[in-house]
Amino acid sequence: MFQYVVRRIFLIVPTLWAVVTVVFFLIRIVPGGPAMAALGAYASEEQVRALEHQMGLDQPLLIQYVKYLADLCRGDLGKSLITQRPVAQEIAQALPYTIDLTVAGMALGILMGVPIGIFAALRRNRLPDYLGRIFSLIGISMPEFYLGILLMYVFAVKLNLFPVIGGGDFSRWGSRFYHLVLPAFTLGIIMTSFISRMTRSSMLNVIGEDYVRTARAKGVSEKMVVYKHALRNALIPTTTVIGLYAGILMGGSVLTEIVYSRPGLGKMMVFAVKDRDYMTLQMVIVIFSAAVFLLNLLTDILYSLIDPRIEYH
Amino acid sequence: MRFRTIGLLAMVMLLLAAIFSSTAEAREPVVRVALKASDIRSLDPHYGTTTIDYACIDPMFNALVRFKPGDIDPEKIEPDLAERWEMSPDGLTWTFYLRKGVKFHKGYGELTAADVKFSLEKAANKDTSGFAKDFEALDKAEVIDPHTVRLTFKENVPSVLGLLTDYHGGFIVCQKAVEEMGLEKFKTNPIGTGPFMLEEYVPKQKLVAVRHAEYFRGRPLLDKIEFWFMPDASSREMAFRKGEIDICEGEREQAWIDKMRQVPGTVVDIFGPGETLTLHFNTRQKPLDDKRVREALAYAIDRQELMDFLGQDVTTPLVSPIPPDYLGGTTDVKLYAHDPAKAKELLKAAGLEKGFTLKEVITEMSDYRRPMEQIQAQLRKIGVDLQMDVITHSAYHQQIRKDVNPITLYVCARFPTADPILTQFYHSKSIVGTPTAITNFSHYDQIDDLIEQARRETQVEKQKALWAQAQQKILEDAVAYPLCITKFVFARKDYVDLGYEMKSTLTLVDTIKWNTRILEK
Repeated sequence: MFQYVVRRIFLIVPTLWAVVTVVFFLIRIVPGGPAMAALGAYASEEQVRALEHQMGLDQPLLIQYVKYLADLCRGDLGKSLITQRPVAQEIAQALPYTIDLTVAGMALGILMGVPIGIFAALRRNRLPDYLGRIFSLIGISMPEFYLGILLMYVFAVKLNLFPVIGGGDFSRWGSRFYHLVLPAFTLGIIMTSFISRMTRSSMLNVIGEDYVRTARAKGVSEKMVVYKHALRNALIPTTTVIGLYAGILMGGSVLTEIVYSRPGLGKMMVFAVKDRDYMTLQMVIVIFSAAVFLLNLLTDILYSLIDPRIEYH
Repeated sequence: MRFRTIGLLAMVMLLLAAIFSSTAEAREPVVRVALKASDIRSLDPHYGTTTIDYACIDPMFNALVRFKPGDIDPEKIEPDLAERWEMSPDGLTWTFYLRKGVKFHKGYGELTAADVKFSLEKAANKDTSGFAKDFEALDKAEVIDPHTVRLTFKENVPSVLGLLTDYHGGFIVCQKAVEEMGLEKFKTNPIGTGPFMLEEYVPKQKLVAVRHAEYFRGRPLLDKIEFWFMPDASSREMAFRKGEIDICEGEREQAWIDKMRQVPGTVVDIFGPGETLTLHFNTRQKPLDDKRVREALAYAIDRQELMDFLGQDVTTPLVSPIPPDYLGGTTDVKLYAHDPAKAKELLKAAGLEKGFTLKEVITEMSDYRRPMEQIQAQLRKIGVDLQMDVITHSAYHQQIRKDVNPITLYVCARFPTADPILTQFYHSKSIVGTPTAITNFSHYDQIDDLIEQARRETQVEKQKALWAQAQQKILEDAVAYPLCITKFVFARKDYVDLGYEMKSTLTLVDTIKWNTRILEK
């Protein structure tokens, strides 16, 4: 197991190198450039050329690529081409907000999704099941930005319970939590839909298995049957879904951060694309990729904890 | 049990929310402004080029002279850091006498002539400013005494006072702060003399400026200003409706204006100078190299229909390249009143009676895309099929400078005299694809002498006549077709008194001044 984890962690290096390479060339192939975005529409061709020279963007792509990789190996992530601030510093400021949001969204998804799935499966084709299925269908079909605006309108504007804007004061837990509630629920409701759907269907599969029937026949209490015998097995596909949808959750954080005007990596990424801020974009995508990679690894490790039959070599 | 736990959790959350939200009710002397932006680019005024930059820079800096708050009429420019000034008879030497006792923020001391010399030299240097080109004519800045500075120009400048206003390179920075911090740090740690000074900047989220108690016009009436970076229109509107935001950048659409006017306690500010929407015809591309074809396109466009589509309250007609309220603006030009029959006749004369197809790119930004879709529909009526590929805004700016478009829509606001627009869009030095290119998309080179003569002219009336002549020639040659001006739209809570009447501003936002205040309930 340990060897497997170490091997997987080492695999991250070539994966991230591939991501960096693809993003590096892709963003430079599409039309548009950072110099114009940085200088504004007043800039003359001369000024644009001068800034491109200063940014090193007038050099051949391969030379830019080698130089960029060399800087990365030295731990230099470069400077944002638009704000001129170090990318590492910008990421360090935005990352905690994104971590808060995705962790909270994921936690809500699990905390709400698994019980709803179990509840619906145990009451199959009865009202709670129908309600659970309708809820998950709505959650899956609804885009994050729409759900975000809807929650904002009801809970912030109409009921005046939560704020509309910002990520709050990060050093104060109260403010941080208060500003996190609605964005986290926006992501959490969508995650809940995916998780509850998967939990319900895998619970239904497991509940029909012979060993569950046997346990019931032996007189084991229903609680024990559900939580000890059925749920543990049903959780394996659910865990896969959670791992897979972690990527979707991060994608969802992009729109959620924009709708709630929260700082974060998603928002950074969108504007880096718009402004062709190559340096920022490359690093944000690397971080997102690394996060998805690590979450997948974590999912694999969780498998072996949930199901002792699974062994990694 | 399960339901009890869920119920308990819900109650705790509602209680927490109620506790936190109850603190947001009190009306403090604070104004919160939401702008359509993701972040600032630079708070060094000599680099700030976006609306959010202008909005944040304006309350933190002053210039030698300033536009009257809320009015950018160049003839109403008034003293700011300079109490008075003198001009030599040839108009090339200007002496400015500074106010005494003007203090920089955060203990950086008193403003002196050395700061003015340093600032203007910085603004004129392309390594330390984005607006160096505007100051090409500045020969030298000399310190006469601590409160007197003399500026000498190599040649006549269309508006020296205009150059030195509270806009772009005209802002005065603190020499000591720039030298101590270096340019990079100064971009996020600005030190000026304005009524508000930077307190906090949270990248991608907000900027907070607090009162500069020693401001020379008097103690600012607000404790602080918060600028929130909110790119999403729905979020801005909801934050405004909820009262988390007091001033909100709006949508330049009639429907939005009508909707917000119904919100209780809301004032919708619609102000100039607005942005000019002009179509530039590429005279190097067939069939637009034929003047008859360009005229046909001009006759095919229904300006009124376009303005009705964009919104009656936000648009005013534009018939010549320079808006009528700019110094040098005129309406005495060939008008090309909407006449599709004449357009078809002209196409027939050019041998294109069956019509033709034009391919071009357009930005996804609605300020450009919506009017262009309307133009597309209008041109279709005379058989011109305008095929457009929608691309990102930065890609659009890059592509149009590569000369790809037969017709380029350009939306802009410039310093309110004729020279910047005429120079940037119609002088041969500005033709796209050349080393000195700016935004001459038509490849037009017929009015260089008029632009240059007007620039050298010291008498305003003669200058205006030259500018009018230049505009008549542009329309006569049908190299551009001015469409309309779209104004800026902001929603403001009625308890925010800006302290001036808002007619127009070059900061393009509801600007906060030292006497902006929150009215009592």
